[in-house]
Amino acid sequence: MRGWVTWLHLPTLGVAVVLVAVWWWLSLRYGAYVLPSPVNVLAGLGDVIRSGEIWRHSGASLGRIAVGFGGAVVVAVAMGLVAFVSPVARGVVHDAVAVLNSTSVFVWIVISIIWFGLSNWAPIFTTFMITLPVVAANLVEGVASVDRRLLEMGDVYRLSGRQQFTAIVVPSTLPYLVAGMKVGFGLALKVSVVAEIFGVTSGIGYVMNYSREILATQMVFVWALVMIAVMTVTDKLVFDTLSRRLTRWR
Amino acid sequence: MKLEVHGVGKDYRIPVIDSVSFAVDAGEFLCLLGPNGCGKTTLLRIIGGLEPATRGSVTLDGRAVVFEQRHDRRVGVVFQEDRLLPWLTLRDNVSLVLAPLGRPAAERVATADRYLGLVGLAGFEDYYPGRVSGGMRQRAAIARALAIEPDLLLMDEPFGALDAQNRRIMQHEVRRIWRETGRTIVFVTHAIEEAVAIGTTLVMLTARPARVREAIRNDGRAARGALIDDLNTMIMEEVERQQGGASLPG
Repeated sequence: MRGWVTWLHLPTLGVAVVLVAVWWWLSLRYGAYVLPSPVNVLAGLGDVIRSGEIWRHSGASLGRIAVGFGGAVVVAVAMGLVAFVSPVARGVVHDAVAVLNSTSVFVWIVISIIWFGLSNWAPIFTTFMITLPVVAANLVEGVASVDRRLLEMGDVYRLSGRQQFTAIVVPSTLPYLVAGMKVGFGLALKVSVVAEIFGVTSGIGYVMNYSREILATQMVFVWALVMIAVMTVTDKLVFDTLSRRLTRWR
Repeated sequence: MKLEVHGVGKDYRIPVIDSVSFAVDAGEFLCLLGPNGCGKTTLLRIIGGLEPATRGSVTLDGRAVVFEQRHDRRVGVVFQEDRLLPWLTLRDNVSLVLAPLGRPAAERVATADRYLGLVGLAGFEDYYPGRVSGGMRQRAAIARALAIEPDLLLMDEPFGALDAQNRRIMQHEVRRIWRETGRTIVFVTHAIEEAVAIGTTLVMLTARPARVREAIRNDGRAARGALIDDLNTMIMEEVERQQGGASLPG
């Protein structure tokens, strides 16, 4: 009980209670189409959990993220390695990341529909292109921040290239990779959901847009809640655990 | 291991080291003294093969030390900073540098524990560097340098970051370790009392560009107080000579 109280942080809880009360009052004023009441939304959430729809759609979204974001992490690691080996390549990667970072989500959605049609690959490709620069930028920064004095120590004691890589470079860079992945995953969820509006028949983005079309506004709110839950749980379970394990020595 | 420095000089944009020659017999404890910024650290790095000399040569038992060229002599270096890997325990930090020597893992751990014990860190083998004091980290760095059983041990103001009390304790310890292991040591310092307390030979360098101003046997025959006074006078003369010119880091 005590654990839950500290975890929820009482003042935040207080603000949430006030906001839900305001939400309720507004929903009474404007009607269920514009703003469904909290009770309606909770009932809808119960429905999707009972029917198993919640797993089908969040599973579909997470599957696309796994491919698109996973691919981005793999490519970013490769870019980080190249940047570490060659200062020239580091400059190129740095500039490429800057260009990718200033490209809008919508550009990739439109291009991926042209290239891949209305298929799974459109949200996957969009997720890949948007998260790649975030993870890569973090990795390149991590690789650049490897302490040269530690590498010189490695030289003094004749550590081989491989020994220096595993003992010095990897541990220095891992926290940057995890930080990049944490930000990248949040972005992946937001982006893939937008891309799912077009051409696929599963996923949180699809079902949200579908709910809007059939005028079931409360379901739009339900799926927004599901999205928040997926994000929070992954963040706590995966990334917090990962960074805690990586920084045990601190 | 006999170390010979033959007319070593180094120019960056200006001459930093003019020409320095001296020899250190096996088992000697040589202290390199000189005003701040006179090139002591640079000279030590040249001796360790971490930097190329502009002129002259360094030999170990008659064989040349060349920058970036691996040689089979073992040289341990204790830097101004401890340069321990923060993500490895003290034991793993020491045993890491034994890996290139091709020792089996069990023997590496035993050797690491033995040398950590020698520097007074028994019981702290499993600690991470961030959990122990600066003095203990520097001891661990010394243990690491000793563990490879170096033919030559180079120490670059290793106690610069320590307070006066720890400094005195460490001087005493290094002197004891030197007596117990019989290593050849070159110890850079700008503290005259420190050099007189621990060195068997004192080499005083001039202000930049450095030459050898005086090489003194410190075998206890000369009165310690008079020796310290003499050296202080010399260093003040050199500092005065250097004034007016821009200072480079030592």
